[in-house]
Amino acid sequence: MTAPALAVLALVIGYPIVRAIILSFYHYPLLSPFRNFIGAGNYQRLANDPVFWQSLVNTGIFTGASVVLGLLVGLVLALALERLQGPWRFVRGVLLTPWAMPVIVVAFLFQFMFDEQGGITDALLQRTGIVHHAIPWLTSPNWAMVAVTLANVWQQAPFFLLIFTAALGGVPNEVIEAARIDRARGWSMVARIKLPYLRSAALVGALLMIIQNFNNFPLIWAMTEGGPGYSTSTLVIYVYRLAFTSFNVGYSSAIGVVWLVLLLFIAGWFIRVLRGQNS
Amino acid sequence: MASITLQEVEKRFGETAALRPTDLEIRDHEFLVLVGPSGSGKTTLLRLIAGLETLTGGEIYFGDQRVTDVDVGDRDIAMVFQNYGLYPHMSVFGNMAFGLRRRRMDRAAITDKVQEAARLLRIEHLLERKPRQLSGGQRQRVALGRAIVRDPAVFLLDEPLSNLDAHLRVQMRAEILKVHRAVTATAVYVTHDQVEAMTMGDRIAVMSDGVIQQVGTPDDLYDHPVNRFVAGFIGTPSMGFVECAREPGEPDLLTGTGVRLRLPAERVAALPAKAERVSVGVRPERLTPTGRGDAESASCTIEGVVEVVEPLGSEQHVLVAVGEQTVTAKGPREEHFEIGEKVVFALDPGHLHIFDAESGEALT
Amino acid sequence: MTTVTDTDTAAPARTYRTRRRLPIARAVVIVVVALFAVWTLWPLYWMLSTSLKTSREATSLTPTVWPHSLDGSHYTGLFTGSLPFTNYFVNSIFTSLVSALVAVLISTLAGYSFSRGGYRLNGALSLAVLATQMLPLVVLIAPLYLLLLKAHLLNTYLGLVIGYTSFGIPFGAWMMKGFFDGVPREIEEAARVDGYSRFGILFRVVIPLSVPGLVTTGVFVFMNTWNNLLYPLTLINSDQKQTLPPGLLQSFSGTFKTDWGGMMAASIVTSLPLVIAFFLVQRSMVRGLTAGALAGT
Repeated sequence: MTAPALAVLALVIGYPIVRAIILSFYHYPLLSPFRNFIGAGNYQRLANDPVFWQSLVNTGIFTGASVVLGLLVGLVLALALERLQGPWRFVRGVLLTPWAMPVIVVAFLFQFMFDEQGGITDALLQRTGIVHHAIPWLTSPNWAMVAVTLANVWQQAPFFLLIFTAALGGVPNEVIEAARIDRARGWSMVARIKLPYLRSAALVGALLMIIQNFNNFPLIWAMTEGGPGYSTSTLVIYVYRLAFTSFNVGYSSAIGVVWLVLLLFIAGWFIRVLRGQNS
Repeated sequence: MASITLQEVEKRFGETAALRPTDLEIRDHEFLVLVGPSGSGKTTLLRLIAGLETLTGGEIYFGDQRVTDVDVGDRDIAMVFQNYGLYPHMSVFGNMAFGLRRRRMDRAAITDKVQEAARLLRIEHLLERKPRQLSGGQRQRVALGRAIVRDPAVFLLDEPLSNLDAHLRVQMRAEILKVHRAVTATAVYVTHDQVEAMTMGDRIAVMSDGVIQQVGTPDDLYDHPVNRFVAGFIGTPSMGFVECAREPGEPDLLTGTGVRLRLPAERVAALPAKAERVSVGVRPERLTPTGRGDAESASCTIEGVVEVVEPLGSEQHVLVAVGEQTVTAKGPREEHFEIGEKVVFALDPGHLHIFDAESGEALT
Repeated sequence: MTTVTDTDTAAPARTYRTRRRLPIARAVVIVVVALFAVWTLWPLYWMLSTSLKTSREATSLTPTVWPHSLDGSHYTGLFTGSLPFTNYFVNSIFTSLVSALVAVLISTLAGYSFSRGGYRLNGALSLAVLATQMLPLVVLIAPLYLLLLKAHLLNTYLGLVIGYTSFGIPFGAWMMKGFFDGVPREIEEAARVDGYSRFGILFRVVIPLSVPGLVTTGVFVFMNTWNNLLYPLTLINSDQKQTLPPGLLQSFSGTFKTDWGGMMAASIVTSLPLVIAFFLVQRSMVRGLTAGALAGT
């Protein structure tokens, strides 16, 4: 029974990876029959491609900011809501809603709220006197990245709330009681007793979210299509554009391969850290 | 119906040997107990008999049938697991009927069988319940019931009582023996508890380090342990040991710190001439405290300092430091001991167990 | 006299601190929760209220926090207007459901064999799963596109389902493995002693015990496919067969550019299946996502 299972996995995982690696050594226009082997040509081009480097940096900023903010928000909320009991637990349920929403909907919603003409965010900020001029959320290169990151954090913080809540439930009662006997309370209870139990949840959650944000196509594509200019173009957006608007499949695959290697390193590091703390 | 014969049965996990090549003959209808500390290979041996593990060497026969390569489901065995292994999504009835359904027995016959087993175990009123609605003792009965409805030739039990509280455990011991008599299958019972082994087994196999150390009746093991391990493992409180040396020139005298043992001629004759250092074991009930005067005249004495006194109601245990070692004496509670008091015990040389200090083998 | 001095001269009694209430800490917690509640709920409220405003109010340059009047026409408009919303919705439901079912079926078999396949396989599986999770969809899409092109499956439901399923299986197998690991081996051994084959054990004992896991994995795949913008965007080119994400995106960035009310109504209807499905399995979802990750490493 194991053999067919392995075969299925090899097919669905192995084929695209191998194919992508092979494609990366070709000049391969999607719609024309002229394809030729160019060796490391795509990789050389990549090294000197400013858009690639900008996309890489953008990916780092978008992923890093989203994961750090989402994790902090989720952690604080999970600790604050830990004692909820009975019907009040529905509060936590409601706060989880954003994570269950389709990404495309989140994109629409924030696009609407960040709209420069009649968007509620600017309207409220101006009415309360916090800013005097409307912030060009989606039309200025700097603010656009802030806008997509905020939308992303709004959606992903509940994921961290979810896993931290579960991890808090996993702290053994005896440990909490022992700590109470030792007079740990409030902040010292959280910092010394509970946080260490949340470490692996934080690591696993962060890893899953790093992966997901590296691959977050719909949110950015629907909100900005990577613009203005290339200001919110992450690697996914760039690769998609290369493959399906410039039809340059070979070059886009080369970027994909570089990207895969990069993520393998990140994942390898995470696994090492996780293993280290388990043993 | 089925005796069980193991020939050179062996199990390794990679480099480590869980069970070294073992021969064992289990008689038809016998209740054999495998006892040993954790990691001694007793559960591995049971699982090999069940067919849940494949052996890395040797042969297993049920009667004269070779079953080495026969799959678990076809071996005609039943098994009771440590955590019962009940199917959580089935009722008690469903749990007991599950194995019968597989054998395509017709429905009325299944109901009869299950009812009969339930009556024997007094769980008729629980048949509609799910396992999670049962207490530990009830789950245990269901697990037993599931095993006996099948009329197995071989009945295997893997530490079935270890999850019960002390009181229930005593009650279930009797219950299991009753069931065993009713089904007349050959039973192999694994436990780490030597009291369970002594009270339940027709014969007991004591295991340690993947090796069967000794097989015998409870009395055999208690009176004639073949080595120090068996001697120390069987019996509670445990046998106490003192290290002794033979006096040069006096082959019948064993001495150590606080110990002076003069052996009768027939015991000296049984000792190998070269055995110079020996380990002497004494059962707690054989240690009788004496006054100083009696001690002078006694041929064998042990002298030490009282460390702990454990009153047990009907009797008391006295832990006594003898040199570096501690021995336990068991006696009536009327005798009074002070902590730190010096005491002298007189011994009947016939009740001494003498072992080689190096190998631990019995020297008699 | 003596009785009085007795208490006076006694060693000072051990003073017990009564448990202090921490009003400040409690207030901080309440403020924090309130702030985050507003941050989370405000966009949801805004979506709902806009969808219920009249078109004029919804697109007004000075937005109103409270709708002046409630109006359901954006919702009825979804199903009767020129936007082929019903079409997208049905396509999304159909392809997501089929993909979830197929992926769960294959993931179950794969997950079970990995769960019982010993330690050596574990490492290989988690690596493979991590690899696919990391491998950007967008990199997978080019080989997939070329494959479907050759097989003449572009612009078909089948092609889309193949894409969805192939991406859902590895993580699904991983999740199922996590759930199967939770089924005690003893129960399976009991079934072996009862004479059942591996498949008999799987279908009569292990699967009935893993129904929450099956449902969770199914919902997970369903959520992922429902969310998938990239695959239908590239693999489907007829409006007739399009699913919700690309369909809505193309509609609301073109013809219906500033129909905010309609956009929000469509958003709510699009969210409902996912939100409902998520809350059905919320509890076991965490386990599925993290248990696998913790056990696999």
